[in-house]
Amino acid sequence: MRMKRKKRAQWLAFALFRLLGVLVVALLIWILGFIVYQGIGVISWEFLTTGPTEGMTGGGIYPAIVGTLCLVVGSLVISFPLGVMAGIYTQEYAKKGKLVQFIRLMTNNLAGIPSIVMGLFGMTLFVNTLGFGDSILAGSLTLSLLVLPIIIRTTEEALASVPYAFRVGSYALGATKLQTIARVVLPQALPNIMTGLVLSVGRVSGETAPILFTVAAYFLPKLPTSILDPVMALPYHLYVLVTSGTDLEATRPMAYGTALVLIVLVLIVNLLAHGVRNRLGRKVKMN
Amino acid sequence: MIKAESIDFYYGEYHALKNISMQMEPNTVTALIGPSGCGKSTFLRLFNRMNDLIEGTRLEGKCWVDGVDIYDKSVDVDELRKRVGMVFQKPTPFPKSIFENVAYGLRVNGIKDKKFIAQRVEESLRGAALWDEVKDKLKKSAYELSGGQQQRLCIARSLAISPSVLLMDEPASALDPISTSKIEELIYSLKEHYTIVIVTHNMQQASRVSDKTGFFMLGELIEYNDTKKIFLNPAMEETQNYITGRFG
Amino acid sequence: MDIKRKKRRGLQAWVSWWIEKILAASGGITAFIILLIVVFLFKEGVGLFQSPRVDEGYVLLMHSSNEVDQLSADELKGIFDEDITNWAEVGGKNQAITSLRLDQIMDRFTEEELGGEYEYLSQRMGELIATTPGVIAFVPTLYAPLDHPAVQAMTDNTIALRDFFVGKEWIPTATPVPLFGTLPLVMGTLWVSLFAILIALPLGLGVAIYLAELASPRVRSLLKPVIELLAGIPSVVYGFFGLVVLVPWVQRVLDLPVGETAFVGSLILAIMALPTLISVAEESMKKTPRALREASLALGATHWQTIYKVVVPYASSGISAGVVLGIGRALGETMAVLMVTGNAALIPHTLMQPVRTIPATIAAELGEAAAGGSHYQALFLLGAILFLMTLIVNLMAEALAKKQHNKGF
Repeated sequence: MRMKRKKRAQWLAFALFRLLGVLVVALLIWILGFIVYQGIGVISWEFLTTGPTEGMTGGGIYPAIVGTLCLVVGSLVISFPLGVMAGIYTQEYAKKGKLVQFIRLMTNNLAGIPSIVMGLFGMTLFVNTLGFGDSILAGSLTLSLLVLPIIIRTTEEALASVPYAFRVGSYALGATKLQTIARVVLPQALPNIMTGLVLSVGRVSGETAPILFTVAAYFLPKLPTSILDPVMALPYHLYVLVTSGTDLEATRPMAYGTALVLIVLVLIVNLLAHGVRNRLGRKVKMN
Repeated sequence: MIKAESIDFYYGEYHALKNISMQMEPNTVTALIGPSGCGKSTFLRLFNRMNDLIEGTRLEGKCWVDGVDIYDKSVDVDELRKRVGMVFQKPTPFPKSIFENVAYGLRVNGIKDKKFIAQRVEESLRGAALWDEVKDKLKKSAYELSGGQQQRLCIARSLAISPSVLLMDEPASALDPISTSKIEELIYSLKEHYTIVIVTHNMQQASRVSDKTGFFMLGELIEYNDTKKIFLNPAMEETQNYITGRFG
Repeated sequence: MDIKRKKRRGLQAWVSWWIEKILAASGGITAFIILLIVVFLFKEGVGLFQSPRVDEGYVLLMHSSNEVDQLSADELKGIFDEDITNWAEVGGKNQAITSLRLDQIMDRFTEEELGGEYEYLSQRMGELIATTPGVIAFVPTLYAPLDHPAVQAMTDNTIALRDFFVGKEWIPTATPVPLFGTLPLVMGTLWVSLFAILIALPLGLGVAIYLAELASPRVRSLLKPVIELLAGIPSVVYGFFGLVVLVPWVQRVLDLPVGETAFVGSLILAIMALPTLISVAEESMKKTPRALREASLALGATHWQTIYKVVVPYASSGISAGVVLGIGRALGETMAVLMVTGNAALIPHTLMQPVRTIPATIAAELGEAAAGGSHYQALFLLGAILFLMTLIVNLMAEALAKKQHNKGF
């Protein structure tokens, strides 16, 4: 009798957990399915290549796509070299101990700072104090702070996964530390570092709060000509379409279309990250 | 009484145990010795079906514990494991208090009677020669005990559910010499009530605590006999080489 | 063979020396950024406590016989809203209060009396105040009859720390003094975040157990990318989804006057916190030593008993680190919450009311606040409060994650 109860509890619990697993998948399908279903009809060549017209109830989102691309490129040009260098320093150079612990703690804390706080900071430092104004430069700098911890962390992990034997082999040939890192360790770690880069692309293209006060333009049909120009951006554009259009019913299709483009972007980024990681997985097995 | 008949065991393609038959008597200590990877631990883990937990394994042959074919479909694995206690190489106390560690086996088997549990915990701790050392700190975390005490706690934990068989997988290999001798004394005294099978690397230990010894090599049972006989006058040359330290 | 250390010279040595220095400098970048953030947030915000409450260019006038010279922001609001109608209520004489704004004063006089260019406005104001002992008037300093013997200007205080931290109302555009009570915003943020974790915890823990203990490698390789994707969806998209799907649905099902509530905010945040929670919990459960698991099974425990009696307790510090991290994320989440919670700056009494969180307030109001003004400063202080909240939460998560390998208790 007693034994049966034990078994029944297990059966019930496991059934529940399976159900929860299914639920998570269902949740994703629901969200993605809803946006795809509502947005697919809006997507057209015209939607992707023209600017908004008729008070954002018509036309497309071309300037927002261009703006987001500018921000992605801009922020990664800043954060990628900086993050990789910081990662190399903590993983390869800094003496293991209090200092590294402190740096790691700070990196984790930076990762935990809310994006709106980053926005506030970016606004005072880049927009006002340094005088960049609402611009691609100010926005990219702010966004780069947000992805810096991601890049540092993936770099550290990537470097740590390079087998010690490789380094020893290089040192044994009389190479200096810098030569060893540059010629042996970095090339080995590169695919994994790229995962961090790809994930950062996803993060930058989806963030709204940091660009609210540093770059994003409400409506700006012309394309930027310099890094000191403001731009539209996909996530902010979606926010504007959803909350502050003059005719919310008429802008809804535009909003669904924009959301779909954002989602597709995220999907591509995730697939890429997955692909990079899988390739790396094979490489490790081969060694 | 434990009995194994024509056991063949595979990890995927790897043939880990080859046609092993063996019988262990009640109230005796049987030691299994042999070089690393010879299959002695795998053999031990057959008797509480611990190998079921590893994916891709396959068993041929039959095992009996107290006259029951333990790989029969009608057997409840949890119930079997209650009858066959096991002590592992490294002490494995749970993240709970000393008391709760010993009470664990009773609780998971649905016993709620507080008085009975308290009584069993005390008996088991006495049985494992640990009671005097811990009776004042039963509520403390098991992690506060020393390694040797933790291992005796794990033995007490096994005793609490009144098994008839105790399997020990190198129970003293992670301990200091003093703790080891305490565990050995304990094993010797426990055989009064239990059938004990112990896997060990340490040949002195096998000769000190066991009544019978089985020597394994490359998945085969080379020789199985009285401990005295094995150590003083082995029948097989491989056994002779191993116990005199020529390989392994 | 000469293997003595030589002083390296030449371009190559010089370059590598510099590269190493640059690497070292970039190593400290994160600490430097955090320092900068702290400095700038406080620098911009701290002026709030030095700025006068009444907007620059305005003044509060009273009859010179009035002995009350200190009024809190709440009291002033009460007076001008006519909730407080007698000076006795604020520590003065038993006398009715007449609160006047500029337009109310001007309504009492004809155009001739005021003069074509309001040249007599100041004089008329003086007469009006002189004849009304219970008066309090909020007027531009330009027109204030400060030299009239029956008129005194109320001494204005700076904004009090107390009003900021425990004030119950956030009305930054209120006159004569704006109300910067952060309590409703802090409470709103905490309510929404904590309830979100309450929803997400059982769900996330269940999925983590499924992933770590039950799922076959095939199912796991399918489920993991799903969770990563959930983590990758931008917060505006979640907000949008919440607004067009969850808000109407909650409103209909629960029969509420408005669907934009703290509850929907928590739902959306729960979905957003799930991926973090699941992956951290799963990882820490996977770290449970195999030996511990086997020891439990060897005592006759079922797989499920082993999970909830051994694996989950062992992983508890790791799981709580995941929970705390999730709370941190939820506290700082801006866009999704901004879009679905209705943004009413009220101290929430139930979850079915609109609320406003700190990040949403900053996002919604900073665009309208004049740079350097008290509203602007107040928003920066809110940012600083949020920063401190998340910092504490992150440090807690860090400590918990470290604890996993010490004691399991």
